[in-house]
Amino acid sequence: METLTHILNGFTVCLQPINLWYTFIGVFLGTVIGVLPGIGPAAGIALLIPVTFGMNPTSALIMMAGLYYGARYGGSTTSILIRTPGEASSVMTSIDGYEMALKGRAGAALAVSAIGSFIAGTVGVVGLTLFALPLAKMALKFGPAEYFTLMLFAMTAVASLSGRSVAKGMLSMILGLMISTVGIDLQSGQSRYTMGILEFQDGVGFIVVMVGLFAVAEVFRGIESLSMGTAPPMIRISGKLWLTREEWKRSLAPIFRGGIIGFVIGVLPGAGGTVASILSYSMEKRLSKHPEEFGKGAIEGVAGPESANNSDTAGAMVPLLTLGVPGGGATAVMLGAFIMYGIQPGPMLFQNRPDVVWGLVDSMYIGNIMLLILNLPLIGLFVRMLYIPRSMLYPLILAISAIGIYAINASMLDLCLMLFFGIVGYVFDKLDIPVAPLVLSLVLGGIMEQSFRQAMTLSEGDLVIFVSSGITVTLVVLSAISIAMPLILPRIKALKAASAEDED
Amino acid sequence: MANRFIFVFAVILAAVYIYATEQFPVLEISDPLGPKAFPRLLGIGMLITAGALLAEMLRAPKAGTAGKGQKASGEFHHYYVVGAVAIWTGLYLTVFEWLGYAIATSIYLLAMMAYFHRDKWAANLLTSVLYSFVSYWMFAKLLDVPLTRCILPF
Repeated sequence: METLTHILNGFTVCLQPINLWYTFIGVFLGTVIGVLPGIGPAAGIALLIPVTFGMNPTSALIMMAGLYYGARYGGSTTSILIRTPGEASSVMTSIDGYEMALKGRAGAALAVSAIGSFIAGTVGVVGLTLFALPLAKMALKFGPAEYFTLMLFAMTAVASLSGRSVAKGMLSMILGLMISTVGIDLQSGQSRYTMGILEFQDGVGFIVVMVGLFAVAEVFRGIESLSMGTAPPMIRISGKLWLTREEWKRSLAPIFRGGIIGFVIGVLPGAGGTVASILSYSMEKRLSKHPEEFGKGAIEGVAGPESANNSDTAGAMVPLLTLGVPGGGATAVMLGAFIMYGIQPGPMLFQNRPDVVWGLVDSMYIGNIMLLILNLPLIGLFVRMLYIPRSMLYPLILAISAIGIYAINASMLDLCLMLFFGIVGYVFDKLDIPVAPLVLSLVLGGIMEQSFRQAMTLSEGDLVIFVSSGITVTLVVLSAISIAMPLILPRIKALKAASAEDED
Repeated sequence: MANRFIFVFAVILAAVYIYATEQFPVLEISDPLGPKAFPRLLGIGMLITAGALLAEMLRAPKAGTAGKGQKASGEFHHYYVVGAVAIWTGLYLTVFEWLGYAIATSIYLLAMMAYFHRDKWAANLLTSVLYSFVSYWMFAKLLDVPLTRCILPF
């Protein structure tokens, strides 16, 4: 009953004309960003923050959330038409989606991805609506030690899952934490690692780092492939933008299964939409009566993964809103945006600012409907954007990034840092070091240090506080498992393979 | 080779970070742990990470020499292109305030497009100038974003 009241109140917020307008702008920009290469949702949200400074925080956050889940819709278009995922999470869609397009069923592939995204996105938001309040109530019991161990778990999970090497993930995570310690220490007033530069006293701005790592680095990668001439050919939309009765029958179950998988994976830190779509794809292949069609244009191979990667966005909002802990790069930027507006996500947010939380959650129902309209009858308009030559697009993205960063503080240092982190992101990519752990730990670093010091003050310097309750013990064990699993699993697999060979 | 570079980087970074942490003055008024405690943990964490990287390097199978030879004689042109774009972007950002947003951006875009979108002079010129001035007007005038105008009268 309490949840129902909150939902109804949330609709009174998100149905206000101004918020409907910002929901539309958010999902529209999200679709554009998803379709275009170069700016992902994380950089898109980061670039949007300076423009929203004077806005009402609820409207601004509704718009940013719209951009976040809208980008997932748009990402499928490039996967299907040019076999280049606009988003990493759309990588599985490109396998069968592109094959369908080659067979003249591009319209059906785009339609199933839009319908699947809508249904699964709504399933995800229903999950978010149902689970947010109970989890927020449970989180009220969290003290500084619980928060510290929770953040430790989130970071270790992201560090170990986002790349092929745990050590490189950890390096990225600690680097982010180190950057977060730059500036004035809030408790003692001590200036740290500022190198005498006055602007560093406020710390290194996370927007600058995000735009550098995500937008500028992506442009450098794009320029590299442009100069190598590896851009794939584009297939024009063919066939009706709708499904046949047989395709409907084959798609419905994968859509719902994908919706549930995506939501559950989204709640967990680290995994994200890419893992959700891979899991959904392999599940659909296992369950299918026609597994041989997978990889050759099976509609289930588009319906399942595309649904999973959209539902994941709603799942990812659960820990962000209830615990104040993001599970990946884009939600980390969202957390930064919340903090910038003076709103601290977490259990108290549900009591102090229910209008923001429920307005935001309910706007996702509306946004999903808007996205369905944008991605079915209007998909042709977005597809035209794919005809913009990349040789013109990449320089424009760099210029947009410069405006976005300069708009924050009118600082030349920020512009230089943006370029520096762009180069860092490009080099990290070459060295196979994931950037998501760096981003997450940069945003969480300050809160993590405060929680650590508060916990240590409460325990008078005794580290036992971090294993003194059931919650902290569980989280410490989960952190250890998340680091150990990627190291142990390959060995177990190798042992199994060796014993199977011996048996043969 | 890349992993060795990352390992050396991690060790040097940890050493520099720990050294810088130890340079903080001890303050009378602060919480019991002070501003050094968390950074110390991070420094130690980075050293452990370097150790883990070393362990990964030792465990990994050694790459064949044939692959190395292939790579050495391979095409590096795209790296030079990315490097040149980074330098050109650096120059653009350096003159961003001095020349003013619209002029600096027009020149920057025109040069970039002249290289990447060759032989389309009219389209490149039109896009660079229109984009720079329209975005300047939109951000500076409509959204009140502080962009430098320099010699421009508006």
